[in-house]
Amino acid sequence: MTDVPPRQSPAPEEQAGGAADTGHNGGNGHSPVTVEFLSEWRNAAYNCYSSGHKFCREVCPVMQVTRNENHTPTAFHANVVAMEQGELTVEDVAEDYVNCTQCGACELRCPNTLFTGDFYRFRTRTVDLVKRMRALAVDNGVHQPGYQRWNELTDERSHEPVLGDTPVSQEHVRDWAGGLDIPIGGETVLFVDCEAAFYRTSLPRAVAQILRRAGYEFGLMTEQWCCGGPAAEMGYRDQARRFAEHNLADWRAAGVRRVLVLDPHDYITFTEDYPEFFGDDFDIEIVLVVELLAQLIAEGRLTPTVPIERTITYHDPCRLNKRKGVWQEPRQILGAIPGLTFHDVDRVTQWSYCSGAGAGLPIERPEIARKISENRMDEAAQLEVDTLVSACPWSERPLAEAGQDRAIDVVDIHELLAESLGIDVGGRTRA
Amino acid sequence: MTGYRYHEQHTPPPARQVTDVAVERFEHIFEVDPKLMTAHVAQQLFPNWDTLRIAASRGDHLEWMHRHWAYQVISAQELLDEIESEQPG
Repeated sequence: MTDVPPRQSPAPEEQAGGAADTGHNGGNGHSPVTVEFLSEWRNAAYNCYSSGHKFCREVCPVMQVTRNENHTPTAFHANVVAMEQGELTVEDVAEDYVNCTQCGACELRCPNTLFTGDFYRFRTRTVDLVKRMRALAVDNGVHQPGYQRWNELTDERSHEPVLGDTPVSQEHVRDWAGGLDIPIGGETVLFVDCEAAFYRTSLPRAVAQILRRAGYEFGLMTEQWCCGGPAAEMGYRDQARRFAEHNLADWRAAGVRRVLVLDPHDYITFTEDYPEFFGDDFDIEIVLVVELLAQLIAEGRLTPTVPIERTITYHDPCRLNKRKGVWQEPRQILGAIPGLTFHDVDRVTQWSYCSGAGAGLPIERPEIARKISENRMDEAAQLEVDTLVSACPWSERPLAEAGQDRAIDVVDIHELLAESLGIDVGGRTRA
Repeated sequence: MTGYRYHEQHTPPPARQVTDVAVERFEHIFEVDPKLMTAHVAQQLFPNWDTLRIAASRGDHLEWMHRHWAYQVISAQELLDEIESEQPG
């Protein structure tokens, strides 16, 4: 659920929009933790099941590939109904829930969100349901092998086991900043996600040097761990919370008041998972770097002047566009870079686009994730562009692989801006 | 710039009663009177950004629909006026 501290939460059924008068506990031989889950989610499930609009189906990137009704957001809710009726168990359905990137298209396009969600303060929460069902499976001892291994390795190393040349370990987490003389601590720190810290090192180097160019002061964490978001997405909530507690303690020990975030996935974690974990005690300001850079340009503190002769389109990262409504600022940045020919695709059309890289889908279903990436690059290819610009490091590796067959480069927006500012960022520059 | 702050997000503007059943916290964004959401379906906790995101997305989506499929967009009042003008007497 969004932004709810457990100890201050309303009754579980209020979280998902459950009725206070259900009289149903979903017993049917389920474990106590499953009964509690069903109590929390039954009303939201019936709300979806009885509505039946299914606008979610065609915007779902997984459904576009598999055409398997078991993978639809509607099915994810219907399973809860069936479990409550005693027709299914979590063991029966757990594996279906890997078929989701948690992009948020389904819950935004659902009329119960888009047309009435703000009116009733009650919206469809399929992403939360998928996270909770995955957690319920783990709580019941049902593990997906890839998720389990990924989170074991993350727990061992304090960082996700991203593939690349840099060894993933605590002692290397700040290697990307080599030679930049960034201080440790301070009121504002830059948090760098695992993919960027260990693989796409040019990305945080670009961000750091752009901020320095604008005169914006920041430091690095004393001991940064993975944000914990991937563990939360895959159902390993205890691990996610442990990681969150470590990072929050690190911030507080250093007197940090503000965290700059360059990765949309981290932004979701810090503005949705951490508030849920810590509630009123979460007193850290979270700033999305792409929004900050757009402001610095608008204020005249950054002026890109080096022409970039590319014909581009922009990929709206799901966690910015669909889940947070952030789509204007990246376009403002691109609009400020001279030389670009920009073939834009509007944000609503892009509700049905996705890189396929979210929420552990590439870990358990790499073939589906790859096909989603290919679909996205097919859309770009129709625009006859030579470059796709993204603002999400996790999207860029799979999109770049799909782009190779289509002669389309994939470039990060922060690095593109750095180039137009005349900054030679260093580090690994290609996804 | 101001980023996400928990306390700001969980302090909605004061509600202004606009009808017997609806209130307004943000300009042109109407909400059901919370008193009517207590017996059967309880409201979720909504940070301010989520309310604003949904309202903005709805506007963007309707504009997208019009752009793709509407030959002409008219108001309901224009329709009523047209019907009235066509009625004899």
